[in-house]
Amino acid sequence: MRTEGQTLYAADVTGVSSLGKFYVEHERGLIGTGAVLTFLLAWEAVTRSRLVDPLFLSSPTLIVRAGYELFAEGTIWRDLRVSGTEFVVGYLMAAGVAIPLGLALGWYRRLYFCLGPFIDVLNAVPRVALLPVIIIWFGIGVWSKIVVVFLGAVIPMLINTFSGVKTTEERFLKVARSFGASELKIFWTIVFPGTVPFIFTGLKYAAGRALLGVVVGELYAATAGIGFLITVSGATFQTDKVFVGILIVTTTGVLVVELLDRLERRFEGWRPKVGSAT
Amino acid sequence: MPLFLRFYLERERAILGTITVVFFLCFWEGLTRGWWADLLGPVLGSAAARWRISPIFLSSPTAIARTAIRLFSAGEIWNDLRVSGLEFLLGFVLAIAVGIPAGLAAGWYRRFCFAIEPFLSALNATPRVALLPLIIIWVGIGIWSKVLIVFLGAVVPLCLNALAGVRTTDAKLLRVARSFKAAEGRLFLTIILPSAVPFILTGLRLGVGRAMVGVVVGELYAATAGVGFMITVAGASFQTDKVFVGVVIIALAGVLMIEALARLERRFETWRPKVGAAT
Repeated sequence: MRTEGQTLYAADVTGVSSLGKFYVEHERGLIGTGAVLTFLLAWEAVTRSRLVDPLFLSSPTLIVRAGYELFAEGTIWRDLRVSGTEFVVGYLMAAGVAIPLGLALGWYRRLYFCLGPFIDVLNAVPRVALLPVIIIWFGIGVWSKIVVVFLGAVIPMLINTFSGVKTTEERFLKVARSFGASELKIFWTIVFPGTVPFIFTGLKYAAGRALLGVVVGELYAATAGIGFLITVSGATFQTDKVFVGILIVTTTGVLVVELLDRLERRFEGWRPKVGSAT
Repeated sequence: MPLFLRFYLERERAILGTITVVFFLCFWEGLTRGWWADLLGPVLGSAAARWRISPIFLSSPTAIARTAIRLFSAGEIWNDLRVSGLEFLLGFVLAIAVGIPAGLAAGWYRRFCFAIEPFLSALNATPRVALLPLIIIWVGIGIWSKVLIVFLGAVVPLCLNALAGVRTTDAKLLRVARSFKAAEGRLFLTIILPSAVPFILTGLRLGVGRAMVGVVVGELYAATAGVGFMITVAGASFQTDKVFVGVVIIALAGVLMIEALARLERRFETWRPKVGAAT
């Protein structure tokens, strides 16, 4: 989302004092940090002054303390392990199904015609609406969450892999066919490499969906996990613990997306530039 | 070429799609009615019983259709539809009213963008539904908690896309306008805003998806009415057919809205600045 628009705002840094220069050079970081600090201080002040009951809103220091206690007592490790297992197993299963299937759907037109309607419908339904049925089928243990994660993650991976195959440069295929390359060779040396960046984009979108699946699945019905921690703490008005859970989820989301971002940039050079094709 | 072959080839996509869907529905129906168990009985013997699945567990297309007709003709579903629709609409309109102006402003005023960026990134990385327990504590289990969760879900993609729309405005156009001394306000209305429209529409489409998740999850979690509430109550009482009616309603609503927005998006696609081909 953060595309380059920097050229629109070329700041003039000549002829200002060194303090001003420092500010201008680090403006983005300074303003961002300032805004976050102001927000945290205001939050702390509101609860400290008893303007709002801490039971209701908690406060940054209370959250830090609750987080420290949860990790020190070690009760949280079990929740982390359960949520982590659900996320990893569901996500890997989705990748294991979606990437080969997506490649096949892009390569075999008739297969796409057959399965297309199902993919379109699944894509339009928030998969979490299936939770009550999934609970009936798989119970409230780990497996129901794995299925929700799988369903959430499989669609974006599938659609991106498919469109990766579909956007293969037509000219490359023509050249390869002119030189009598076998279909298998065309697939592995032209189609698949061109699809890799798309697969990574799909993996990145899917990470968010998978995280949503874990959290919602555990909020809805579970016996352990971070979402379970959040919902139990919420039901018992331990707002600070709720925030600890949310922070853990957010951190995980940021880390996973960052990791996949790096992998994606690594393969970015392969992406066919659709706009500038001549 | 024989006539029927040409007919088939011209409509291959629709024909193959219809056949698989019909096949899938028949297979499903057969599972609960025991068609496959009866068919495989002579071959597999007692193992064929595995192909007969209780309707409580799986339901079937005809049972779902029958339940849907009953629900709509008895009228008990209208209240749920009204409540869910209201939550969606209020939350989404609020998200549009806040998200798009905020995104445009963040694209236009660099410092404002720096200030809200950390919050936007954090919100974007958090599945907003994780905030549900808090929202329930704050605003209760009535419709406002769902309006809030829909708002939170939709506002982030709306804001980020509006921001990206302003940011990708063609710099040449701005330079030309500035050379001719166009006022900043004029610049914004005649250049920035039109070129941001395709991005805003993309944001709307993504936002609709998020908003639907918000309504459904919010109602699954804690509610007193709504389609999600109907699904969760039906699930807890093993009325699988009713659960599927709810899922189908949600799917239809999602398909219709996203399709409408995708059309609108294609209509405005020509406005989108081609980033790659800029010379």
